[in-house]
Amino acid sequence: MSQISKMKALLTFLVVLAVSGCVAPPTYVTKGEEFPSMYVEKPRALLVMPPINLSTSAEAKDYYSTTVEMPIALHGYYTFPYQLTADVLKQQGVYDSELVYDMPLNKFYDYFGADAVLFTKINHWDTSYTVVASTLTVSIDAEIKSTKTSEVLWHYNGTVVVDLSVNSGAGGIAGLLVNAIATAINTAAADYTTYAKVANSRFVGSIPYGPYHPMYLKDKEIKLIQQKHEEKTSHKVSKPPTKNAAE
Amino acid sequence: MKTVFIVVFITIFLAGCQTTKPMYEYENYSESFYSMKKEGGTESEAQWKTSLESIIKKSKVKAVRVPPGVYANLGYIHLKANDKENAIIFFEQEKQIYPEATKFMDNLIQKAKTKG
Repeated sequence: MSQISKMKALLTFLVVLAVSGCVAPPTYVTKGEEFPSMYVEKPRALLVMPPINLSTSAEAKDYYSTTVEMPIALHGYYTFPYQLTADVLKQQGVYDSELVYDMPLNKFYDYFGADAVLFTKINHWDTSYTVVASTLTVSIDAEIKSTKTSEVLWHYNGTVVVDLSVNSGAGGIAGLLVNAIATAINTAAADYTTYAKVANSRFVGSIPYGPYHPMYLKDKEIKLIQQKHEEKTSHKVSKPPTKNAAE
Repeated sequence: MKTVFIVVFITIFLAGCQTTKPMYEYENYSESFYSMKKEGGTESEAQWKTSLESIIKKSKVKAVRVPPGVYANLGYIHLKANDKENAIIFFEQEKQIYPEATKFMDNLIQKAKTKG
């Protein structure tokens, strides 16, 4: 081997070593350690807010909104009827959950009697499609905020990545074509909502059980994978330019 | 002797069949909610109403609590159809099962009473 290729090999080896060293094993924490405020405040009634859509899909908000109520209710919380509360919020001028995300939430206790509010952000709701390879991603960031203190009581992310590519194993150009068509069909037919429910299950499991669940207040020792969350930058809602009266 | 054996066998069999009661009977709540959002229109709305009523019936049969918000959603459908009396009945039901809903239900009942 020439000197150059030896150097290349050594360099590659070192890079691989360095990168693999960066992958840390997951840290486990208990529900009680990670979300102590939930066990102190003990919220009973949760208001599920309309999702904040940060994805590239316009339909994501409507479709995703139909999947949240049930798992939260089955986790033991009183959940306000989503359809009803969404209408009431619109009537009060709250068209977007983003508008109230950074604001004091005590009004939600005053009007609804909600102890806490569940915000969900749809980070991803899309397929990455390259003819013979297709990956569907649904990623939801969820938070429970207290209506008394507006503090975050619980925060977790649920992400699902699904490989929709079809590899029939057939060779040659014909094989490629078959795979491409099958992948396209698979992608077009993909039911996002099904995967959204899986994404939900990945974060709902980390919520301390609610008052209607048999395990209420008995789950402090249950372990979960600790997630690191980025420092939140508030989503600035830009005001529409005020029209000059003269115009 | 044979009858004793049969009786014992049936008892053991039935005991093994006992499954834990589900917390709530949701039936096809999620699907009909999704259809209503996806398709809209009176047909899917009627289906939504039917699924809510069916959940209530099934919950009574299985002797489990009606899930949170089901009575309230039904009350709201009646309110929108100007059926104030039934709307109030359903809001009251929601309050009864879930005291957490009291504030909101009282607000809605007020709204229903003063409507048109």
